[in-house]
Amino acid sequence: MNDPTPRRLLLLDHYADGEDARHFSLRIDLPLAADLAVIPGQFFMLSVPGVGEAPFTYVSLPDRSGRFTALIRRMGTLTEALFAQPVGAVLGYRGPFGKGWPLFFSAKRVLVVAGGCGLAPLAGVIDEAISHYLPQRLSLIYGARNADAQVLRRERAEWQQRLPMIETLDEAPVGMRQGSPLQHFGELFAATPPDAVLCCGPEPLMLATAEACLKRGLSSDKVWLSLERRMHCADGLCGHCYLGPSYVCQDGPTYRYDRFLQLQSRYSARPGLQDHNFC
Amino acid sequence: MMQAFSLDRPERLRAHLALDRALYEVRADGQGGTHWQHVSAKDLGAFEHAVEPPPFSAKSFFFAERELLFRFDGGRFYSAMPEVTPQVLFGVHACDLVAVAYQDRFFAADPHYQARRRATLLVGVDCLHSCQGGFCSLLDSGPAVHGDSADLILLPRGDEASDWLLLVASEAGRNALHGLRLPPAECDWQAERVANSHCVAAEQGEQQEVSAGIVALNNDSIADTVWDALGLRCLGCSGCTSVCPTCSCFAPLDRPSGQDGVQRERVWDSCLYEGFQREASGHNPSAGPGQRVQRFWTHKFGDAFKERFERYGCVGCGRCDRVCPGGIGVHGVMHKVSLR
Amino acid sequence: MRVIPSICTFCGVGCGIGLRVENGRVIGVEPQLGHPVSQGQLCSKGWSSSFAIDSANRLTDPLIKEHGRFRRASWDEALELVAEAFRTALDEVGPQSVGVISCARASNEDNYAAQKFARAVLGTHNIDHCARICHSPSVAGLARTLGSGAMTNSIADIDEAELILVIGADVTENHAMIGARILRAQARGATLIVVDPRKTRLARLADIHLQLRLGSNIALLNGLLQIILANGWENRAFLAARCEDIQPLRQHLAGLSVEQTSTQTGISVAELEQVAYLFSHAKSAFTAYGMGITQFQSGTNNVIAVSNLALACGQVGRPGTGINPLRGQNNVQGACDMGCLPNVYPGYQDAADAEVRAKFAAAWGRPQPVHPGLTSLGMTKAALAGELRALMIMGEEPVLTDPDQGHVARALTALDFLVVVELTLTETAKFADVVLPAASFAEKHGTFTNCERRVQRVRQAIAPPAMARCDWQILGELAARLGYPGMAWSDAEAVFDEMAGLTPIYSGMTYAALDRQHGLQWPCDVEHPHGSPLLHGQGFPIGRGRLLPVSQVEPDECPDADYPFAFTTHRLHFHYGGGSMTRKSPLLERETPAALLFMHPDDGATLGLRDQQAVAVRSRRGYLETRVHLTDDVPPGTLGMPYHFREAPCNRLTNDAQDPVSKMPELKACAVAVEPLPLGRTPRMQAGVLEVSDDASV
Repeated sequence: MNDPTPRRLLLLDHYADGEDARHFSLRIDLPLAADLAVIPGQFFMLSVPGVGEAPFTYVSLPDRSGRFTALIRRMGTLTEALFAQPVGAVLGYRGPFGKGWPLFFSAKRVLVVAGGCGLAPLAGVIDEAISHYLPQRLSLIYGARNADAQVLRRERAEWQQRLPMIETLDEAPVGMRQGSPLQHFGELFAATPPDAVLCCGPEPLMLATAEACLKRGLSSDKVWLSLERRMHCADGLCGHCYLGPSYVCQDGPTYRYDRFLQLQSRYSARPGLQDHNFC
Repeated sequence: MMQAFSLDRPERLRAHLALDRALYEVRADGQGGTHWQHVSAKDLGAFEHAVEPPPFSAKSFFFAERELLFRFDGGRFYSAMPEVTPQVLFGVHACDLVAVAYQDRFFAADPHYQARRRATLLVGVDCLHSCQGGFCSLLDSGPAVHGDSADLILLPRGDEASDWLLLVASEAGRNALHGLRLPPAECDWQAERVANSHCVAAEQGEQQEVSAGIVALNNDSIADTVWDALGLRCLGCSGCTSVCPTCSCFAPLDRPSGQDGVQRERVWDSCLYEGFQREASGHNPSAGPGQRVQRFWTHKFGDAFKERFERYGCVGCGRCDRVCPGGIGVHGVMHKVSLR
Repeated sequence: MRVIPSICTFCGVGCGIGLRVENGRVIGVEPQLGHPVSQGQLCSKGWSSSFAIDSANRLTDPLIKEHGRFRRASWDEALELVAEAFRTALDEVGPQSVGVISCARASNEDNYAAQKFARAVLGTHNIDHCARICHSPSVAGLARTLGSGAMTNSIADIDEAELILVIGADVTENHAMIGARILRAQARGATLIVVDPRKTRLARLADIHLQLRLGSNIALLNGLLQIILANGWENRAFLAARCEDIQPLRQHLAGLSVEQTSTQTGISVAELEQVAYLFSHAKSAFTAYGMGITQFQSGTNNVIAVSNLALACGQVGRPGTGINPLRGQNNVQGACDMGCLPNVYPGYQDAADAEVRAKFAAAWGRPQPVHPGLTSLGMTKAALAGELRALMIMGEEPVLTDPDQGHVARALTALDFLVVVELTLTETAKFADVVLPAASFAEKHGTFTNCERRVQRVRQAIAPPAMARCDWQILGELAARLGYPGMAWSDAEAVFDEMAGLTPIYSGMTYAALDRQHGLQWPCDVEHPHGSPLLHGQGFPIGRGRLLPVSQVEPDECPDADYPFAFTTHRLHFHYGGGSMTRKSPLLERETPAALLFMHPDDGATLGLRDQQAVAVRSRRGYLETRVHLTDDVPPGTLGMPYHFREAPCNRLTNDAQDPVSKMPELKACAVAVEPLPLGRTPRMQAGVLEVSDDASV
C-alpha cells in the first residue's frame, strides 16, 4: 500500500548556491532501506507542513544517517515557505520515487548536458563516474544564463579537477564561452563523439539537445532526459504528471528519448504554445 | 456459475441487509433530483428501479471528495484513515459497477480507497431498458451487471408481476444472505439476461459515431484544429471529471487543523483545469484547452490505457453529455472527431 | 450522507445544486437534474461550493476592535456596542447620519429585515446595496421605458429564440448556465450576435461579433435603430398597439448616417446593416445585456437605448424575446425586490408616496421617514463629509468592488462607527469596529430570487460554525436592543410570510408553493397564482412602452497623452466578486495567478513587454503592480483587469464618475498608463489600503 504520510525530515543547513537558489542539507529522521539505495535521477517529495509538498531531486544521496542534499530554487508558494524555515525545522519527506539515470550501459563515452538548475539531478551520475564505479568516460557541458545563475559551485569546483568539463553562459564575460550548450555541440561531437547523452534542464533545451543529437547521428535510444512535472502523490495516482499514458513520477522522471517521443502526442509536440523559459 | 434465488420483493432483501450495515440507495429528493442517500433500516419506501442512473455516480463512496491523509502537530506526522462502518450500496447500475471495478484496479495500492471499499457490499441491478444517453452495450459495461463487479445482483423481470431474481456473485454476497430464506430460481435466467441485453443494445443503436471516434482517436488522425474548437467550448467547469465514474485525479489541500496543527486532505481535481499541469516555473505542458480535452478523451478511449485496464475508461453512462455546459460530452466530441 | 437540494450561492442564474453533507460538513455538491434553469449542470464556481463555505477562516465569534486589533467578544457585548453606537448617532445627529448596506448575496429574508431595520428602527431610507454598481441603471432605465426593471422574459425563452443578441455580457464566464443554454440554442439553429469590445469566449463562438470601441454603446444602438427606421424594418403593428409615439425618437435619429455610426463605433457599415436586418426580421429575438451596458456614466441611457431597439422591433412581450438584464449576484434581484434601495419599499413601492409610507407605518407600527435616502456611493460621500456617522455593511466588499478604492477606504475610516456582518474577515471587514459572524447559504433556510425573477428555496444543510447567526436574526436582536420588538421572528418562513403580505408581487408565494414548483417567478399574486414567466405580454406597467431619445456620451475619462490606454474591468470565470469564497478553493485559486493586466500583443510589442512581465499601472486615482498577460481578448489600445484579487485591486485605478440618474459609477472605462517594472523586481502585491492587522485571533 502507498503511504501518503510524510516522514520527519530535519533541515540541517543551507547555503546560497545560484540565483534565488539554495543548497539544502537535510536528514531523514529514520531512514529506511529504500532511502539508502537511491539511484541518481530519482526524486523525493518534500513537505512544508501546512503549506504543501513538491518533488525535488537529490544532489548527494542519503547516507546511513539519512543525510543528503538538494538544490532548490525559490519559485512559488512552497519554496517561498521553505526558504523561510529556520535551521532545525521539521519538514516532511517521502521517497525515493521514480526511475533514475541508467548507470550501466555499454556506452564508452557519455556526454552530460545540463542547463541551469538541471545540473542538480545529474550530480549523482557525475559523482558516480568520478568514483570510477562506471567504466565510461563521462564529460560535462553546463550552460546557464550568467555566472550568478550557475548552481552547485562547490561540486563544480571539484569536478573541474576530475573530468572534462565545459561551462558556457548566455551572458558571458570576455574570455568565457558564450551561448547555450547546443552551440558547442559541433566542437564536442567532433572531438569525442559520445555514445550516449544524458540531458537535464529547461524542457525546450532538453528537446533541442535531443534533436541536435539525432542530427549528429546518435540514435534516439541513446539519449536520456529528465522531465519536470507538477507532482502531488508521486504514486501514479493523482494524474498531474501525465505524459500520454505514462506517469512521470513512476516511469520517469528520466526517460529515454525514443520512449519520450512515443508518449508525446502529436498535438503536445506542437510548437507555438506558450512556454516560459525559466531556470 | 452463480447461484440464483427467487426474491419476491427487493425491499425484503434491503431490509435484511440494512440490519447490520449502513444502507445507501438512490432516492428522489422531491425537487426533481435523485441522489445516493443513506436509508434507514426501517425505511419502507419502494425500491425505485430507475432507468436513468443518478447524475452523481457511486465513485465518491470509495474515492472520497475530501479525504484526510495526515495531521502534523509541529513535531510528528500522524496518518489518518477514514472511519468506516460496514455499508451496502443497494441498486447500482451495471455501468457504475464496471467503473468501480476499474477504480478498484487503479487504486489497488491506495489505503484510503481500499479501506472504504473493503467495508462495502455491492448490490447491482440489471437494466431492462436503456437510459437516455447510455451506450453500455458498445463498451461491454452493461446492461447486465458483470459477475465480478458485484456481490449480489438483482434481476428485475419484464413481467412486473413475477418475482425478482437474485444472483450471488461473491463470497461476501453469499454470507450477506445468511438468515434470509430464499427459494432457488427455477427459470432460465441466463437466457433472460441475454435477451434483455440484446433488447437494450437495440435501443442504444449502433453508436457509429462513438466507434468511429475511437478509431480516429487511436489513429492519431484528428487535426489539432478540431481539438482547438472543442477546447474553446470547454468552460473548465470540472463537471465531466466530477460525474465520470472512472475519473480519479486529485489535489492536495494543506490547511490548519484546529489545535495548532496542520493537516492535508486530498480533494477531487480535474485535468481540464488550465492549472492542472502548470508548474511553479510557469511551464505548462497542457496550456491549451484543446490539448486538455484531447487528453481526457485519450484517457477514456486510448488503446494504451485499454491495455493496462483491459477495457476502456469510459463505461458508457452518458453523464458527461448531460453535465457539460459546452455541449462537448462524449457524443458531442465523438461527433466532431469522427467527421471526415 | 445526505444531499440537500438548494440554490447556488454565486451568480444570478440561480442553479439548482445538491449539497452533499457528511458528518455535519458539506463535502461536495451534485448537479440537480430537472432544475428548470441549470438542467443538471453547474459551472466551476458551483462545483467549488464546498470550499467556499468551508470552516477554515470562517468567523466564529463576534469581534470588537480595540487599539487597532480585533478581540473575540460575546454576542451580548458586541450587539450592545453596536446598538449604543447607532443610538448615539441618532440622538446626536438624527436618522440622516446612519445607514445600512445590505447584501445582494444574502437571502430575501435577510434583506427584508435589513430595510425594515433601517426604516422602522433607525428611521432612515439610507439603505442600499451593490446593485448600485451593477444593475441600478437597468432598474432606472427600464422603469422609465417599460415600468419594470427586471428581466422581461425567462431563461427558458432562449430555447425559443430565433436570434440571440448579447450586449456587454461575458455570459459563458459569468452566467455560465445561461451561456450553456445560449450555445445549445445556437446549436439548434439560432443566430448568435455578440456585442463586446473584448473577444470573449462567446464572441469567438458567435455567428457575428461586433467588436465595438469601448464606451460607444449608444452610438451603436442608435445607429442600428436608425438603419432599421430608414429601411422601414420597424415593427409598426407593435409600435401602434403597444408603444407611445416613436416620432420624437425618429426625429432624434434622422440625421444619423450609417457612416457616422461606423466611425463612432469602429464597426463596418456592412456588419451594421446585417445586424440591423437580422434583429428586426427575426421572428423572436432574445436580448441579454450586462455590465458592459450598465457600468458607465451613461448607464441608464445605455439601457434605454437597448430598450428602444427591442421595442421598435417588437421583440418584447412574446416567448423567445425580451429585454433581459443578467443580474450578477445570486440574490441581487431579491435585494432590490425587498426594497434595499433608498427610493423604494419592498416590491418597488415608491418611498416618496405618502400612501405607501402609511401602509408600512401601519404594518410595522412605526412612522416612516420622509427624507429621501442616500445611495451607497452617497453614503460614502456623506461619510467623508462627516455627515454619516454609523454604518452597517452586510456581506459586501466595497473596498474591493467599488470605484476609487482610496476614496472608499478614507470614507470608512471617517465613520464614527462601522459594523460589518460577514462570513470571513474580508478587506472591508478589517475596517470595522465590530465584526459579526454570519451564517452562509448552506447554514440557513431562506429564499433567493434569480435574474429571471424566480424565487427559490435555499435549504439549510448544516449548522453555522460556532456562534455565527443568520443576518435576519442579528438584525432582530439589534432591533430589540434599540427598543423595537417587531423583528423577533421565530424562523425564516415567518419573515417571508410577513414580507409577502406587504409585497404585491410576492403576495401569492409561500414556502410550500415554492417547494412544489422549483420556485415561482414574480409577479405571483391572485391574478398569477403560478407566477409569471413572461412579463408585458398584454401591456406594460406604465401602459404603453416609451421610446426615449438618448445620445452617445463619451466616457468621463478617455485616453490622453498622460494616460494613453483605455482601461476596463471584467470578471474571470473562476472567481467571484472579491474572491472571499472562490479563492478558498485550491483548484480555482490555482487557475489564475492573482491578477493580470490583459493587453493586446501589438501593444505589448510597442512597449517591449513579454508575457507575464512585471508592470506598474497608474491612473489619476491610484497605482498598482501586476503582471501583463498578452492576449487578443482585448483590442489594441484597451487594457483590462479582473477585480477579484485583493492583492491587485483594479478599483484603485477606476473613477467614480456617476450616471446622474442611477448613480452608477463608470467602472468600465477610465484611462491608465503602463510601464515595465525594473528587471528582477517582482510586483508588489499588497492587499488593502491601510495597515490593519488581519489577525482575527485574540
